Amino acid sequence: MNGPRALALAALAALAALPWVLARHQLSILTDLLIFGLFALSLDLIMGYTGMVSFGHAAYFGLGAYGSALVLVHSGQPVPVALLAGALLAGVVALPVGWFSTRATGIYFAMLTLAFAQLLYTVAYKWRDLTGGSDGLAGVPKTTLFWGGPSLATPHAYYFLVTACVVLALLLCRALVRSPFGRALQAIRENERRFVALGRAARPFKLVVFVIAAALAGLAGALFAPFRGFASPEVMFWVLSGQGLMMVLTGGIGTLIGPILGAMVFILIQEVLSSYTEHWMIFSGAVFVLMVIFLPGGLVGTARRLVTRA
Amino acid sequence: MTILETRGLGRTFGALRAVADVSLRVETGELRALIGPNGAGKTTLFHLISGLLAPTSGQVAFRGDDVTALAAPARCRRGISRTFQITSIFPELSVLENVRIAVQLKAGGNFRLLGGRALLEASERRARDSLGALGLLDRAREPAAMLPHGDQRLLEIAMALAQQPELLLLDEPTQGLSPEDTAATVAVIRRIARERRVTILLVEHDMDVVFDLADRVSVLHFGQLIAEGTPDAIRGNLDVQTAYLGGPE
Ligand SMILES: Nc1ncnc2c1ncn2[C@@H]1O[C@H](COP(=O)(O)OP(=O)(O)OP(=O)(O)O)[C@@H](O)[C@H]1O
Ligand SMILES: [Mg+2]
Repeated sequence: MNGPRALALAALAALAALPWVLARHQLSILTDLLIFGLFALSLDLIMGYTGMVSFGHAAYFGLGAYGSALVLVHSGQPVPVALLAGALLAGVVALPVGWFSTRATGIYFAMLTLAFAQLLYTVAYKWRDLTGGSDGLAGVPKTTLFWGGPSLATPHAYYFLVTACVVLALLLCRALVRSPFGRALQAIRENERRFVALGRAARPFKLVVFVIAAALAGLAGALFAPFRGFASPEVMFWVLSGQGLMMVLTGGIGTLIGPILGAMVFILIQEVLSSYTEHWMIFSGAVFVLMVIFLPGGLVGTARRLVTRA
Repeated sequence: MTILETRGLGRTFGALRAVADVSLRVETGELRALIGPNGAGKTTLFHLISGLLAPTSGQVAFRGDDVTALAAPARCRRGISRTFQITSIFPELSVLENVRIAVQLKAGGNFRLLGGRALLEASERRARDSLGALGLLDRAREPAAMLPHGDQRLLEIAMALAQQPELLLLDEPTQGLSPEDTAATVAVIRRIARERRVTILLVEHDMDVVFDLADRVSVLHFGQLIAEGTPDAIRGNLDVQTAYLGGPE
């Protein structure tokens, strides 16, 4: 068995065993980390594999959260229905946004995604009847796995649901970046002009991956709402978009697993620092700066370098 | 048979007429050299033919069809492949992947989101053939950025060649090469022209290369075609000599 596969199996075993090792609140933190890991993973598809830096990715996390919250609050359907609704809502909204935004490249693309995200944030904030305005939607229930099926209301059950979603999403992304489509994305990232001269317009590829990434971010948001029990405009705010970029860079851009780890480390550092000092933002900022300087390629990129050197 | 014809083709940049009223005919199977001093408009003409730039006047016909309205990707799919004067590759991708993606983009199946293994393998086989023809196979696994300059120039030719084009545009393939590398590249181009029966339009500054390779030569000066003929005829042409003497070289 080769190294990466052994590591993957060990990680899976750890994920399966952890609920019996961790205390209740620790398991809850781990669930939270995994949800944001999924969010960062989705961002890596466009940022790391296609070279499209989005400053508005939180919008799709937020849309997923609202989509899922609305389904659960109003209909009490099983959670997977809400997950599907959240991912779908995010994907559908990403279609027109992506259509416009992919007309631009580089910093202009980033600014367009940011502008659309702020617009969506404002809609969530103002459309009180539907979204509950600044209060958001509270009391989002963790219903069941399927109709009349097991309840997801225990920390264990919900943890396993989230873990399953993250693992499946990771496998899906892995297959995606190795497919003919995924290879094309990486060529676009490397040299778009060359790509076009070789026979395909880049924009359809960018649009498709933008929608896929949005739907996956939506899935993360859809898991988040019932987990925390609410959806509010904060989850669509640009701050989360910016943190997404930092998670991806911390873990290792263009590595898929890296951003998941990056999200976990990033949030853990914040948690730890904020328990010691109210000026934690200064320190977490400093940690991020040091990581970018001394760990180029992020955690995974650095680990790979060390392994190949050894 | 005429494979490429431009009619009154022109492109301005503001007040500058980079290409002006160029009417050019290239016959199937010939190796045509395009020469001219720096800034004569050779690269701009390549962009107009390959569709990377839109003309401000005139038309481009490829195999008898007017392709002026087609964007670069569509022209490539019809059979026009090119290299760039300033090396343009996918630096972080492997040498093999650079060529393989060139095959895939032309052959199709690009929206296979999952799987597609058969497709990947088929395109990889063709990429290997092309790399072999250019002597790059032993470096196939390295990132393209790791190749020395000369091999990167060859890699670009391999990418274009793997697309099995009918018309191959080469923009100064020997630029910046050592004499040995230049000789090797010339040999490669001659072999391609002979074995693959592909029509080649070649921009080149090195006159030895031009007179060595070309069936016919076209001369561009201040955006205009000022002469065309066999290498011998061009060598003796007074206008051409004046253009070069008057040029910035
Ligand atoms: N995008 C552009 N914008 C403005 N001017 C341009 C542009 N591209 C080319 N030019 C100008 O058009 C003229 C022709 O340039 P072009 O690159 O086609 O020449 P060339 O014959 O390929 O020269 P060289 O031998 O140096 O490669 C030059 O004066 C150049 O400065
Ligand atoms: Mg030029």
